[in-house]
Amino acid sequence: MLSTDLRDNILVVRVEEKRIDASKAPAFKDEMTRCIDSGQNQIVLDLSYVDFVDSSGLGALVSCLKRLGPRGSLAVAGATGAVSRLFTLTRMDRVFVLHPNVDAAVEQLSA
Amino acid sequence: MVSSISLSIDSDLDKVSLLARAVRALCEDLLGPDDQDAVELSLVEAINNVIKHGYHGERGKDVQVAVGLQADQVVIEVIDHAPPMPAQVLDKAPEDTFAFDEADLADIPEGGMGLALIRMNMDEVEYHSGDSENRLRMVKRIAPRSQ
Repeated sequence: MLSTDLRDNILVVRVEEKRIDASKAPAFKDEMTRCIDSGQNQIVLDLSYVDFVDSSGLGALVSCLKRLGPRGSLAVAGATGAVSRLFTLTRMDRVFVLHPNVDAAVEQLSA
Repeated sequence: MVSSISLSIDSDLDKVSLLARAVRALCEDLLGPDDQDAVELSLVEAINNVIKHGYHGERGKDVQVAVGLQADQVVIEVIDHAPPMPAQVLDKAPEDTFAFDEADLADIPEGGMGLALIRMNMDEVEYHSGDSENRLRMVKRIAPRSQ
């Protein structure tokens, strides 16, 4: 469900599913955990293809953030509509930095 | 206009999106896109809670959803035959769920957000448990059309 691309030592992870919900969250978390455990600690998560995230999906993101630990960073790019509003509503926009697109996120992380 | 429809799925997380998308489509003429999002998310959270916590992930149990389309509101009821939600879950204020300290990784919630999200997205939320069934009733009011 994920595709990855390394840009300036930053791992760009694109979610290739329309929905990250309770049925998809475990697989999402497993694949992300593999990326993190392979040594990546600067990750941009591209959600531009995703149009629905529920609390299970959001919880999986938080779990990835905890796995990365305080030295890592997980930025979110391309969240729009319902996905972007979920971050605001749950105040998770204070936890994940939201960027309009991958380029902006990579630029910010590599600065 | 008042019309109603009942839908049901087996207690399988893979089937929740199908039902949620069907209900969203039913609301398309009555609610704006933001309110459709609110209804879809609330319904998904409600059904996930039933399957994960009520039925403990066991398949082959029934989850029923009754949708009432009224002139001024959309009423959605999620009906299950699992043990009822515990009182301490129902009593928790939704704002407490998201009052975490973002500077403290351990304090950021990974779960337990579903009911809070439902309460924040719907105008009325009521839970009744009877002898044989539980019923979560959620109401979204239809915003008057601006001329």
